[in-house]
Amino acid sequence: MADPGLEMSGSLQASSGEDRLIVEQLRRIGNVRAGYYAIHIHLSKLRAVNRKPNFIQIAARSFDSLMTSADALLYRCANGDLVLICRDAPVRDVEQAVYRARALFSEDPLAASGSSGEDDKFSTWYDLGIPKDYSAFKAVIISMASGAEPKLEVKQSKPAARKMTGVSLDPGNLSEISNKLVNARISDMIRQQFAVKILSLNDGGLLFSEHFVSMSELQQRIAPDVNLFANPWLFQYLTEALDKRVLAIMSRKQFKDTDIPISLNLNISTILSREFQHFHKSIGKNTGKVVIEFHLIDIFSDMGAFSYARDVLSDLGYTVLVDGLTPMSLQFFDPGVLQTDLVKISWGPEFSGNVPEDRMVEMRDVVQASGRDRVILSRVDSEDAVKWGLGLGIHRYQGHYIDKLISALQAKGVM
Amino acid sequence: MAMSPNISGRGGGQEALLLDYARRLEKHRHGRGSVHLHLSGLQPYNRREQHIRAAASSFEPLVQSMQGQLFTLRNSDLVFIYKSESQIQVETVVQRIHFLFSDDPLLVEEEDSNLVFDTWYNVETQYDEFFYLVQSLVDIEQKQEEEKERKRVNTRQALKDKQETGEPLTPAVLERIEQALVRADLSNMVRRQFVCGIGPDMIPDALFSELFISIKDLQETLIPGVNLTSNRWLFQHLTETLDRRMLSMLNKNDGPAIEGDISCNMNVSTLLSQQFQDFNDGIPASRRGAMIVELQKVDVFADLGAYMFAREFVQDKGYRVCIDGLTHMTLPLVDRERLGADFIKMIWHYSMMDFEEEEIDHLRRLIARAGSGRVIMCRVDSEEAIRFGHTVGIVLFQGRQIETIHADDLRRRELLKVKRPRSYR
Repeated sequence: MADPGLEMSGSLQASSGEDRLIVEQLRRIGNVRAGYYAIHIHLSKLRAVNRKPNFIQIAARSFDSLMTSADALLYRCANGDLVLICRDAPVRDVEQAVYRARALFSEDPLAASGSSGEDDKFSTWYDLGIPKDYSAFKAVIISMASGAEPKLEVKQSKPAARKMTGVSLDPGNLSEISNKLVNARISDMIRQQFAVKILSLNDGGLLFSEHFVSMSELQQRIAPDVNLFANPWLFQYLTEALDKRVLAIMSRKQFKDTDIPISLNLNISTILSREFQHFHKSIGKNTGKVVIEFHLIDIFSDMGAFSYARDVLSDLGYTVLVDGLTPMSLQFFDPGVLQTDLVKISWGPEFSGNVPEDRMVEMRDVVQASGRDRVILSRVDSEDAVKWGLGLGIHRYQGHYIDKLISALQAKGVM
Repeated sequence: MAMSPNISGRGGGQEALLLDYARRLEKHRHGRGSVHLHLSGLQPYNRREQHIRAAASSFEPLVQSMQGQLFTLRNSDLVFIYKSESQIQVETVVQRIHFLFSDDPLLVEEEDSNLVFDTWYNVETQYDEFFYLVQSLVDIEQKQEEEKERKRVNTRQALKDKQETGEPLTPAVLERIEQALVRADLSNMVRRQFVCGIGPDMIPDALFSELFISIKDLQETLIPGVNLTSNRWLFQHLTETLDRRMLSMLNKNDGPAIEGDISCNMNVSTLLSQQFQDFNDGIPASRRGAMIVELQKVDVFADLGAYMFAREFVQDKGYRVCIDGLTHMTLPLVDRERLGADFIKMIWHYSMMDFEEEEIDHLRRLIARAGSGRVIMCRVDSEEAIRFGHTVGIVLFQGRQIETIHADDLRRRELLKVKRPRSYR
């Protein structure tokens, strides 16, 4: 393995970028440009989830083998792009390395685009010996070096709804936070959001109202300096404690008079707890008005406990929902296998427009197989999302955009 | 879940009620069955009040529809007496409780030991046996109560009991453990288990061996009295620290002897970390082809995007990837080819022995979809498990039974080596 060397060591340089170094090299190359060529790899155009600094770092190392053998230099630009400048290096070897970097992102539409010529959105090749190519390349580099492009943000990995700042949750601060959680007032942080059914312009209605604790408010109250989402496992631990607080509050609610079912996010382990027993007793015969949402991670972690909890809850009259799917996860398994009453898929702006047609067909099939009447598209924040869902045959929605629709309809007196 | 009064807790057991009921049953035994669930044999962490309550509540619909009577004993055992026409419903309930505790040694080890989870009686024809059971349960309970009385005065004994039960892992304890792990010498806690191809002749052919840190040893050495696996999320976090220690051991020459192809457990986050990059830079390229990275299914599905990236990265370097921790229940959710994994591991569970023909066919199809040579059945503890594996198309196995077969085979080969020169003489 080559010494990563100055060109690509560490993230410090990545954040400042090596755009100016490319300009300098172009100056050094001067006018004798025969044999030189450049490849611009557009990692900045990846989906946000794939633009993580450690992903870029690993992708950059796909070119390690070229650094030892051939006359090639790799630059990491401030926006996350990579630029490779070669002299007489065998095109086949370079192609191979570009292919390896592309393969890493095979789930990203950018890499799924055609791999040669015009269709290739992942990389652009310039023969610097040709004046037209040279000036085009130089223009791109100068524009990047002038800082016109947005820089690669370090924290871009989570969808907008899950953005939070602060130090990462760790066992040390978790201990303190979970102690605080037991005593903190949370009843005023419980928010509601409706899920709706839209069958046609005139036919629709409210499905249920999800009750959840606003995590950003919770963070402000018990741990303003800690990013609760930063560690998925420890966050999951925290939710176990949160469940019990929420159930205690919900046990005091009058279910007799509510027409619209409520839904609660719970851990599977919570179903076996004393708090859930109390809740169950308190709601009496109203189990048909309660939807229990389980998260996919929790289900995968203990399928036996899940199928047990699902069956017990169904026997008692509750509705069971699986949450935490994404359009991407639909490409990997059929949620119908989980045999729940409802399935929730979280939409993200990265899914609009640029999903290859064959993947869309696959997803449509999965939605059909899971039963169209069981699928809810959540985190719907734009009309695009609804259109996307309708394209897959989905008629159940939840999200900020839906909230706006509901208030508009309510203002008109339609709802 | 609504509780009927007769399962409302363990403080007072229902031994006396059961004895009385059993006596009266003598004249009404026609068309009655009974099942005794030995929940007392479960690990302490599976025997908490909520677990017993959950198990008991599964019988509730049957109790409410007057199909049977449930008795909860002081030692947590359950005895259910029912009308024979609801036999199938009762079996379904018991099966569900099985799944609830499917990770418990009582269920995992039932096959090759005298541990039993459930005992069934046809009260009509086996009334005497059934009555004997009830009597013995009541007797045992009385003796244990007396025993407890004696023990109560013995503080040292009480402390010992507490240690055996194991305290649950808390974030504060986790923090201490993770700090201790940075310095602790783990090399003597590394265990090795072979994955072998085994055909009908039962002769093993080792494919690779898995290196892992014994959690039991770790627990006893670092923090006796705390059950490290009692909270799966905290445990999952702990495994990230263990990954790093494993990598540094594998990088050292004085680490565990690594000959042949080996596998070890990793988190996706570890594969994407600088530590793994350093590890990868430190080992010869040829060695990478001999290594298999095992990832837990929950880790894979927690962030599929990160998994796909990491998988592509390590496979490009030559490593192979195995998705671990599947059961026959999660197998349908995992499309090995789509996920691009080289192997998948399915945990053997003895309940598969009772599969109906239809379920066996379904499993066979799933295994064929994944590719016969790509599925490893692990935690194999009996020859029956291997034979079952063969009927559904599995040829790769791992577990205690495989260790025995593999060791026997090595001995046999050694003997052949010793014998052969003699016969030439």
